[in-house]
Amino acid sequence: MAEMWIHMGPQHPMTHGLWNLRIKVNGETITDAVPELGYLHRSVEKIGERRKYFMNTTLTDRLCYASAMTWTHCYCLAAEELMGVVAPPRAQYIRTAVLELQRIASHLMWLGAYLPDLGLITGFLYGMRDREMFLNLLEIPSGGRLLYNYVKIGGVKRDLPPGFEAKAERVMQTLERRLKEYENLYDNSKIFRMRNDGVGVYSASDAINWGITGPNLRSAGVPFDLRQADSYDAYPELDFEPVTNTAAGGGSDCFSRYRQRIDEMHQSMDLVRQALAKMPEGRVMADSVPLRASGEAFRRTEDSRGEALMYLVGDGSDRPYRWKIRSPMFTTVSAAPHFLKGYKMADVPAIMGSLDMCIGETDK
Amino acid sequence: MTSLYDWSYWFCEAWLVPLMTPLLYFQEHIMPPFSNPAGDMARWMESDPGLNILAWTIVVNVALMIGFTNVIIVVYLERKIAGRIMDRRGPMLSLSSLKEIASDLAGYAPEYNWKTTTYAGIGILQNVADGIKFFCKEIIVPDKADRLLYTIGPVIFISSSILLLVMVPFSPRIAASSAPLGLLVVMAAFSIAPIGVLTTGWACNNKYTLIGGMRSAAQLMAYEIPLLLSMAGVFLVAGSYNPMDIVAQQQEVGLLGFPMWNIIPQFLGFIVFIVCILAEVERVPFDLPEAEAELVEGWTTEIGGLRLGLVFAAEYIRGFVGAMIATILFLGGWAGPFLPGEIWFLLKVYGILIFFIILRWTVPRIRTDQILLLGWKRLLPLSLINLALAILYVEVF
Repeated sequence: MAEMWIHMGPQHPMTHGLWNLRIKVNGETITDAVPELGYLHRSVEKIGERRKYFMNTTLTDRLCYASAMTWTHCYCLAAEELMGVVAPPRAQYIRTAVLELQRIASHLMWLGAYLPDLGLITGFLYGMRDREMFLNLLEIPSGGRLLYNYVKIGGVKRDLPPGFEAKAERVMQTLERRLKEYENLYDNSKIFRMRNDGVGVYSASDAINWGITGPNLRSAGVPFDLRQADSYDAYPELDFEPVTNTAAGGGSDCFSRYRQRIDEMHQSMDLVRQALAKMPEGRVMADSVPLRASGEAFRRTEDSRGEALMYLVGDGSDRPYRWKIRSPMFTTVSAAPHFLKGYKMADVPAIMGSLDMCIGETDK
Repeated sequence: MTSLYDWSYWFCEAWLVPLMTPLLYFQEHIMPPFSNPAGDMARWMESDPGLNILAWTIVVNVALMIGFTNVIIVVYLERKIAGRIMDRRGPMLSLSSLKEIASDLAGYAPEYNWKTTTYAGIGILQNVADGIKFFCKEIIVPDKADRLLYTIGPVIFISSSILLLVMVPFSPRIAASSAPLGLLVVMAAFSIAPIGVLTTGWACNNKYTLIGGMRSAAQLMAYEIPLLLSMAGVFLVAGSYNPMDIVAQQQEVGLLGFPMWNIIPQFLGFIVFIVCILAEVERVPFDLPEAEAELVEGWTTEIGGLRLGLVFAAEYIRGFVGAMIATILFLGGWAGPFLPGEIWFLLKVYGILIFFIILRWTVPRIRTDQILLLGWKRLLPLSLINLALAILYVEVF
């Protein structure tokens, strides 16, 4: 068969979101790939320059629909640095707890989206079922289930209600039981391993050169975690090490990326327990938060998908003069052609799915 | 009365033709003789070819009815079992829920209670809803598609699948045909469908359908040879291709003092056969031609309306026939104590079908190169080993 270009997207089951991957196939083997982005561009950065600092948390919630809390938190950290505000200790611990809960919910969403890519729709229902518990948990303090608007500049919106710890503990025990089930269902499945082992391989040095961050980098064996490397909030006081995984032949493949996210869920549950146990008493909002700011500030945080970076420039007015968002998935998707080449067409959903795409933050 | 065909031949000869021909002869008398074919028709019906064709028409219709009744049951089972596996309930709409819905839609619901009013039933109406939806859809032929092949492709697929039903017996009583080559003919008819898939895939003028059709052809290469080799062991032991003889052979009291079904001496062949028949009927994990993750809907992407509904029904018919052949070859067919043979046969067939369904919702899909690897490097040697063991078995005992 002659070589031909095939569009996977903008409306295609492989694309979780709205983007286009053009692949050139020779029979079933991929010889070239071009990702095309921009279908979901909402010019968040430009809109943000017309709105006051505290209004922008509404926009940042909408950056990633699977991980709204982490993006708002990153923006709030940058704005706090710009304004010289520090959140009270209790607010920092609450942030840590809800961030980790959000990370688990996001990884479960990934698990639910990844298995239909391999042809197992049951996995979608399982992932969504478990994510539901964490959405219920996040609904308790914030009132929202998808877009929380919970983290504010200078603290968090509300205190955690009494009894939150017990509920969180019950949910996390359920998830631990279910993760054991999933390991039986997926890790021990010969077909699951056939589809994952040695597919979409990139080495650690390539990942660093291409700017891949987050779980996709750690799955290549690089122990780099911004929660430790550039620590923020209550993370310095918590006891944890970055978890890493490597493929059988070194580097990162689909299976090590799958294992990485399962391991991170275990780690996040541990962090939530620590944060809830060590939580001090006190206020959850800073005494005064200025409306105006000048200077420049940038903060980077460990988002569920990698390194999220917010850069803010203030000119003394109550709106940011310039706002720049660095999206982790944008760089990862840009590198995708390098590790798509040579694999089969059926591997495209597996490879792109294992990266945990989120088009909201990629297109901004 | 050895088969359904004999019964319908007798029915035509004794009842249908004697009842219909007087009417036709009467018509011949009252109308001008040169323009009226009624008498010719009557004479043709009384002749042997006419009776033959009438009998076959009845047989095919009965087979179609049996097939589609089972399709409805299998689709229902698939949905319910899939729902239970996925930790949900599956379709719930049934006749008992219509009253609740009607009172709810009418705007008054005096007995409505949010705790007890659930519309819950056993869910059999979901199939009816699906059927109505398929009927109501417009049939769209894509621009620049090859209209002739686009129409012929699904017809090949559907008709060859319905043909299968006629050739596999339910029991000695309900058997449409007893061809001497029996199951070999069935397998030949089974292999017609990929031609329809390939034709449709090419004719749609769409890259997804094209790749889906190509995958169907590639898959045929992988499973067809091990499939036939695993059946050859059973044919050797039975000394016949005929389903009746194969089932009768399995009823002979073997070494251990009870009827030994072929699954016991030829367990290897059973495994190979089940894996290959899964690939033959294109179910997960071998549903590569319609891999929805990368090929949207595979070779059926451009098919719509009732045509798509019939293609789905044909796929379930193929699954059903696959389970029937597995039952005849390895599980003793319609044999069993106490209950009638047909009940035993359906119980065994549905057992295999439920295994297919559970498998479908438990494992991911494998790749095209992996199915070729599996077929040529694993299943082919295994089926050859099974064949050698079967020869040994025949020679020694």
